[in-house]
Amino acid sequence: MPGLQLRNIRKAFKGTEVLAGVDLDVAPREFIAFLGPSGSGKSTLLRIVAGLETSDEGEVILDDRRIDTLPPGDRGVAMVFQHYALYPHMTVRENMAFGLKNARVPRAEIDGLVTDAARTLEIEELLDRKPAQMSGGQRQRVAIGRAIVKKPRLFLLDEPLSNLDAALRLRTRVELAQLRQRVDAGVIMVTHDQAEAMTLADRIVVFNDRRIQQVAPPMEIYSRPANSFVARFVGSPAMTIIPARLADGGAFASVLLGNGTRLDTQVPTDGLPGSGAVEIGMRPEGVRVCGQGQGTTDAEVQLVERLGERSLVYARLDDGAAITAEDAGTTSAKVGDRVGLSIDGAAAHLFGPDGTGYHRAAA
Amino acid sequence: MAASRSDDRLPPLVWAALLTAAALMVAPLVWTLLLSLKSNAELVGNSGAALGGPYTLENYGAIFGNSSTMRWLLNSAIVSLGTTAGVLVLASLAGYGFARLDFPFRRSLFVLVLLGLAIPSQAVILPQHQLFATLGLHNSYPGLILPGLIGPFGVFFMTQYMRAIPKELDEAAMLDGASRFTIFWRVILPLTIPAQSTLAVFTFLGSWNDYWWPLISATRSDMYTLTVGLAASQMNYAQTSGLGFLMAQAVFASIPIFIVYIIFQKQIVRAMAGAALK
Repeated sequence: MPGLQLRNIRKAFKGTEVLAGVDLDVAPREFIAFLGPSGSGKSTLLRIVAGLETSDEGEVILDDRRIDTLPPGDRGVAMVFQHYALYPHMTVRENMAFGLKNARVPRAEIDGLVTDAARTLEIEELLDRKPAQMSGGQRQRVAIGRAIVKKPRLFLLDEPLSNLDAALRLRTRVELAQLRQRVDAGVIMVTHDQAEAMTLADRIVVFNDRRIQQVAPPMEIYSRPANSFVARFVGSPAMTIIPARLADGGAFASVLLGNGTRLDTQVPTDGLPGSGAVEIGMRPEGVRVCGQGQGTTDAEVQLVERLGERSLVYARLDDGAAITAEDAGTTSAKVGDRVGLSIDGAAAHLFGPDGTGYHRAAA
Repeated sequence: MAASRSDDRLPPLVWAALLTAAALMVAPLVWTLLLSLKSNAELVGNSGAALGGPYTLENYGAIFGNSSTMRWLLNSAIVSLGTTAGVLVLASLAGYGFARLDFPFRRSLFVLVLLGLAIPSQAVILPQHQLFATLGLHNSYPGLILPGLIGPFGVFFMTQYMRAIPKELDEAAMLDGASRFTIFWRVILPLTIPAQSTLAVFTFLGSWNDYWWPLISATRSDMYTLTVGLAASQMNYAQTSGLGFLMAQAVFASIPIFIVYIIFQKQIVRAMAGAALK
């Protein structure tokens, strides 16, 4: 089977487990983002694929070849490091040629490959400069160039944009997206920036607590999070998740919030956990601010964040549950106000006692 | 560094103090040079004669007149360069090992190396002499060079310098298919050139000026280094009757050091300022 397969990868550092049996299939030419908080094991997994760490157990298979027994240079992967890791004493040209030289590619061929890659990345005029003579963005391009020139079957990007300032980060993100159309290889990118993961990846792998929590396309991660961790971790601001009780209902679940408000969701009752205690999750865009007494429930405004085109209203229900709502950019809500909140039950998610997510039927 | 701006200028008082201090430092050197340019006979009665002419190069002529001087110069060059090269190779390899390789007892071994810094060479001179005598290494270049290669400072210095080089570079090179040796040779070593040159200068100077070990090990005149040879050629009453010649020897022996200093001034100053690692 072409592509990358990870089979039961386990890793512990000095007795502390960091990966507890990870399985993952990556299709050829697929762009995968590893997303998760620090210490969730995502970087370790990337380094195991690269060969910079060895796994305690498990197999790494790339294009039908087991590679976890091979040295990093023989695996057919190239990596872009967080801090670029360009060789400071070499020119850009030498940096890009280094790997090819080690692979004993003929000199004439190296020149051609380097020139091609430099043209693709528009860094031709930098070829004779050294890393210290370039800006962060230029170094980043060279680091990508050094990876591309080897024509790997898999690119590994370790937080490639984290060292760039905000404007450059956005631009480079767009460039990365364009670039991946031109390279005939898969990409795995480690990031803790969900915007990067959402915009670039075909599928996102969410890590937490030594395990993969969910593997799915970005919008599915956002709209159908596998569990309450993914729901909270993806999306900014985070999804509001508050305790609720299942109420008697028909085909779709209805819940009672802590303050007694009844909410009809479109989550099918089939498969929901038997006991009544659940959690309900709502994205801010599913909760609108309205006049007091006119919405699903009332709440007291704790904080208003004006973002320009919209405002985020952090409010508290009578039972103390915190809930984040959205309002127009011109909102009149002020701290301490009593407002109504109109909750869109169709956009609500339910989470069982073990955190498992339940969502409305897929469209 | 940018050209000094007017507001960077030192106040006159500081200038004067610096000039005075500099003059005090330079005075003995100038005195040495002047003495070396006077004939021995003139200085016997009054060394103050050095302050006035006539000056002569006869003492320098006497140095070259001694056919052994060139041989000693060559010996010194061979020993100093050999020691320097050896120290660079060993310190770099050991430094790389301590900084990058994972092997049993690495920490303890490094501590052991550091302890070497605390042992004065005088403390081991007798067994060292015994050992070299047994091995038949006295009066040979290896005999003069080998003790100088034991350089805990060099190992410590290179280890610290290499530790400061980001490990990501090694990892990038590993992914670029570089072997362990290629990483050392093509990636790490070129980045340590500032440290190498600093270490080289200090080792060279130390070896060139070394007097004690060559005095013990080289007993045959053709194996003398310049320091030992020049000292040996002094007459019994050199301090009085051969003052000019003595000073000429001192000047002559320090010329190579002077040249090295001029060339590597930057490295030496940087090392002295303790900024060699940045």
